[in-house]
Amino acid sequence: MLKKDLLELCLLQLLSRGDKYGYEVLTPLRAAFPDTQESAIYALLRGLGKEKLTEWYMAPGGGGPDRKYYRLTPAGKDRLEELCSDWRNMRDAIASFGVE
Amino acid sequence: MNKLKTAEPLTREQYLKKFSQAVRWRLPPQESEEAIADYRELIYQPERDRGKLVEELGEPVQAAHLLTDVKTYRRWLKVFAVLAFGLFLLAKWNWMGWSDVHLSFAEQWWYPVWVMAVGLALSLYWFRRHGQKNGPMSKWLMLSLVVVLALGAGVLAWEWRVMDAEFLECVAAEPFRGPLHKQIWVLGDLLMYGGAACALAALAGLVLAKCYDRRWLALYILGLTVAALCGFVTFQLKGMSLEYLEANMIQAYLFSRLIPIGAAGLIGTGVALC
Repeated sequence: MLKKDLLELCLLQLLSRGDKYGYEVLTPLRAAFPDTQESAIYALLRGLGKEKLTEWYMAPGGGGPDRKYYRLTPAGKDRLEELCSDWRNMRDAIASFGVE
Repeated sequence: MNKLKTAEPLTREQYLKKFSQAVRWRLPPQESEEAIADYRELIYQPERDRGKLVEELGEPVQAAHLLTDVKTYRRWLKVFAVLAFGLFLLAKWNWMGWSDVHLSFAEQWWYPVWVMAVGLALSLYWFRRHGQKNGPMSKWLMLSLVVVLALGAGVLAWEWRVMDAEFLECVAAEPFRGPLHKQIWVLGDLLMYGGAACALAALAGLVLAKCYDRRWLALYILGLTVAALCGFVTFQLKGMSLEYLEANMIQAYLFSRLIPIGAAGLIGTGVALC
């Protein structure tokens, strides 16, 4: 798994917990991957939308203007499962070398 | 004392402006508008630290680069390179008065018209398919069209005047460097500076059509047309092909060719504005 896949896994996992607007997606991911800029995460989010793994809708946001909320599509949930499986396999493979 | 200034952090407006310019150049219109709207939302979050925009989001151009679909962008760059090269040729021909390229099967004065035909067809095809209108028509576009049109009409009117049979007979009877000769040289200057300036205006129109509103293509087409007309006349004059014509035929010979070329350009300009 590449770093991009890990980022994608975390992003999809984040959205699986509930719909989120852009800043809510970008901030925790940037905190988890401090050497990755938000523009790279946004590009990934946009790419997932193009692949129909996520979709968006506009909704009122905290007293301000409407915000764009992102959510997973069924294809996105399948992709999350696939990435989770890859991640477990990789974790087990690494653990077999005694890496904690 | 350290005189080095530390760079001021970009304000939200500056960041969004730079990002918008970069993204409009690289992405198709609908995608670029979506990305700009998303970035506006991200940048204007109340929680966002204004002083850390670049640190958190990255440089605006780099952010646009990350969103670029390389295949689509390269296709646009190829189209732009062809159109810009055509304008470069027209500007060079108008400025220098000759072409380094000589094709055995065609006279040089048709070269600018070929460049115009390719530019007209390719640009209209591309921008009608991939361009997008953006709000009401800009007053600056109208103003620039009027200026280029006035310049083109002025050059043609002067051309009409100095290619008149009676005028040419008076010139022939006048000693060299007389006032009537100078009027012909004025035509040469008009063709040289006017043609090159219109090619530059056309280049600006091309960039603005990509970045803001496809109707700016009208400026490209009108500038291209005037530059091509200037190139056609320049090559005719420098090629001395008119020497073989009777004085009373020169005006009719030139304008029977200039009028249809100009009309094609005006129709193209109208189509670009629709």
